[in-house]
Amino acid sequence: MNIELTAQQKALQLEVREYMKTIMTPELLEEMKDPELKEGGGPEFRKQYARMGADGWIGLSWSKELGGKELSHIEQYIFTDEVVRSGFAYPFLTTEAVTPVIAANANPEVREEVVGGVRQGKVTIAIGYSEPNAGTDLASLTTRAERDGDDWIINGQKMWTSLGNFADYVWLAARTDPDVSKKHKGLTMFLVPTGIEGFSLTPVHTLGVRTNATYYSDIRLPDKYRVGEVNGGWKLITGQLNIERLSLFTHGQVDSLYQEVCEWAARTDAPGGGKIIEMPWVQHNLARVKTGLEVVKLICWKQAWSMDQGPLNMADASVAKVYSSEFFVELYRMLLEVMGQAGTIARYSPGAVLQGKIEFRWRVGAVLTFGGGTNEVQRDIIAMAGLWMPRTR
Amino acid sequence: MDFTISEEVNSAQQLAQQILADFTDVDKLKALEQQEERFDKALWRALGEAGLLGLDIPEEHGGTGLGFYSLTTLCEEAGRTVAPIPVVPVLVSAAGTLRRFGSGAQKEHWLGGIASGTTLVTAALEEYLNDDPGAPSCSAQKMDGGYSLSGTKICVCLAPSAARILVSAKAGDELIVALVDPRAAGVSLNAQVVTTGETRHELVMDKVQVPTADIVATGREAAAAMEWALLATRTALAAMAVGVCDKMMRITGSYTSEREQFGRAIATFQAVSHRVADCYIDVECLRLVTQQAASLIDQGRPAGEAVTMAKIWCGDVTHRVSQASQHCHGGTGVDRDYPLFRYCELARQIELTAGSSARLTGELGGEICAQHLAKAG
Repeated sequence: MNIELTAQQKALQLEVREYMKTIMTPELLEEMKDPELKEGGGPEFRKQYARMGADGWIGLSWSKELGGKELSHIEQYIFTDEVVRSGFAYPFLTTEAVTPVIAANANPEVREEVVGGVRQGKVTIAIGYSEPNAGTDLASLTTRAERDGDDWIINGQKMWTSLGNFADYVWLAARTDPDVSKKHKGLTMFLVPTGIEGFSLTPVHTLGVRTNATYYSDIRLPDKYRVGEVNGGWKLITGQLNIERLSLFTHGQVDSLYQEVCEWAARTDAPGGGKIIEMPWVQHNLARVKTGLEVVKLICWKQAWSMDQGPLNMADASVAKVYSSEFFVELYRMLLEVMGQAGTIARYSPGAVLQGKIEFRWRVGAVLTFGGGTNEVQRDIIAMAGLWMPRTR
Repeated sequence: MDFTISEEVNSAQQLAQQILADFTDVDKLKALEQQEERFDKALWRALGEAGLLGLDIPEEHGGTGLGFYSLTTLCEEAGRTVAPIPVVPVLVSAAGTLRRFGSGAQKEHWLGGIASGTTLVTAALEEYLNDDPGAPSCSAQKMDGGYSLSGTKICVCLAPSAARILVSAKAGDELIVALVDPRAAGVSLNAQVVTTGETRHELVMDKVQVPTADIVATGREAAAAMEWALLATRTALAAMAVGVCDKMMRITGSYTSEREQFGRAIATFQAVSHRVADCYIDVECLRLVTQQAASLIDQGRPAGEAVTMAKIWCGDVTHRVSQASQHCHGGTGVDRDYPLFRYCELARQIELTAGSSARLTGELGGEICAQHLAKAG
C-alpha cells in the first residue's frame, strides 16, 4: 500500500504538463474566446491537435501495432489528467474510447483511413448514440440502417452530437433489425463521414456549450463503414463507457480551479481589511473543497490502478461516476460562493474573476450528473453489484 | 502507486476477522454490557495469543512488527464487530507512541506485556474542550526524581485496570509525556458514562508524582510524540469507522432486501436502495482517505493533511451512514434487541473523539489560508 506517484510517474506528469503549455498558444487562447470554437474545431485547434499527433502524443494507450505505446492505465490517466488540466479541447472520446474499438473491428481500408488519421491528429469523431426519445434507455433508439446491395440506407435523427459541427465522422448507432422489441440485439455501429450527402445538422445551444442535433436523410453509406457484426453493436457501445468515464472526471481540471481560487483569495483585499482568504467562511469552503477533491484524486488513481490489475468492478466504476459528478457540481458552487456577486460576471466581461472560468465550468457541469450514464442508474448498479440488493423498478 | 495490500497484512486481517467473529455474538455482547467494565478479557487474550495485539510492536519486544497499516486493519475489524476491546487507546495511542518515543527501558518494560495482552497501558489524550494533546492545560512541575502532574483528562478508557495511563502536560513552556499510575497518590478516577453506554473515567491529577522512569519524552521529543499520537489515533478511529459503517450499511442492505411492505421488498423502491447506495459511496470514500493516511504514517511520511481530511470524512460518514441505516430500518433499528444501535452509538463516539469534522475543517481552512498567504508574499 503506497498511494503516491512514483518518481517515474511524477516525471511523466511533469513532462505532459510542460508539453501542454506549448500547445496552449496565445493564438489558441484567443480562438477559444469564440463560444463556437471553445470546444475545438478552429484552425489553431486543428494545428495544435496535428502537432500533438506529429510529436507522438496521440494514442499512447494503443497497442504498438497501431502505433501506440501501450501505456498502463495509470500512465494513461496521468496523461489524460494533465491534458484536461491544460484546458486543451483534446478529443478523448475519439482517441481513447472510439478509435480502439474501430481498430479492433473495422474493415482494413476504413481502419487505415480513420485510425491513421486520428494518430496524426487530423481526424475527430463525434458520438451518435442519443436520440430525442432514447437517452438513458439507449437501446430504444430508432435511427434505421437498411441494407441495399453493398450499401446501407440510413434515416433518423441524433441528439447531443457534440463536436458534430467539426468532426470528420459520426460514430453512429443504428437499428438494423426492424423489430424494435429486440432492443439492444438489433443495433449495428457505423462510421458516417460528415461530408456525405444526406447528413445535416442544426446547432443546439445549451446552458453551457454548443452541441448539435444531427439528421440522417437517405444517406447511402458503403458497407465498408460498418464496424463490427450486423446487430452486434451493443457490446461495442458498452465496452467503451467505462473508458469514457475515466476521461470525464479527472482530478487536475478541478484541482487547478481550486488552486486558482485560493491564490485569488490570498491576493484580494477583503472589505474590512486583510485578504479574502482570511475570512472564516472562505476558509471553511476551501477546506471542504480540498477534502472532497482528495477523494476525487484517490478514486481516479484507484480506478486506473484497478484497470491495470483486471476488469473494473462494476460497483466501483459507478461509485466513481456518482461521487465525482456530484462533487464537481458542489465544488463549482463552493468556489463561486467565495467570489459572491463577482462570481456571476461572465467570461471576458470586465471584473470577471479568473476570466469567469468557474461560472463557465458550472454551466458545463450541469450535465455531469446525468451524462455518461445517469446517476440513478449508477445507484441501481451500486445497490445490486455492491450490496446484492434486489433489482429496483 | 500501488494499492496492493501485502499477503501478511491480509492474512493478519483475516485472522482477526475470525477471532473477532467468534467472540462477538449478540449474547456475549449483551453479557459484557452488563459488566461494570466493558472489556472482553478473553477476546483480548485470544488476540494476544494470535499475535494480533503486537502488529505494530517490533519483534524484539514480543510483537509481530507488521507495522501501523496492519494495525489499522485490526481497528477496522474491531469496528465491524463492535468488539468491546481497547484497540485504539491501548495499541495505537499508548503502545504506538511508546514504541516510537519511549526509552529503551520503557519499551523493554511495557511492550511485551501489551503484545501478549497481559498488561494494559491506556492513553488519556483529551481534556474538556481540548482534543490536542500537544497543547494540554494539565501542568507539570519538575521535582527531584521526576515531575508532579496536575489537571484533568476526560473519557479515559479502562483507566482503573490500566497499569499506566499515557498523558501529556505542560512544564512551563515545555511539553512532557508521562505514564501515570492510576493508583498513585493524588489520582482520582470519576466514572463517566459515554454514548456507547460504557463507563469511562475522568482522570483528575492533583500533584501526582511521576518518577523519571515513567517520563516518556520532554520538549521537542514530547511534541513529536503527541503529534504522532494524535495523527495515529485519528487515523485508527477512521479505520474503525470504515468497519462500523461498512457493517451498518450491509445490515441495512440485507434488512431492506427482506422486509416487505406493499407486497414487495422495500429494497426494490429506489428511494430506499439509493439511500443505501449513497452509504456505499460514502464508505468507499472514507476507505480511500483512511488507507492513504494509514499508509503515509506506516511509511513515516508527512501525514498531517491526509489525516485531517480522513478524520473529517470519518465524522461526516459515521453520521450519515448511521442515520441512513436507522432511517431505512424504521422502528426495528432503534430497538435494543436488534444489533444496529450498537453501531450507531459507536459511530457517534468515534465521530466526536479526537476532533470533530467542524473543528478539523476549520483547522484545515486555517492551514490553507496560511499556505497561500505565505505563497502570495
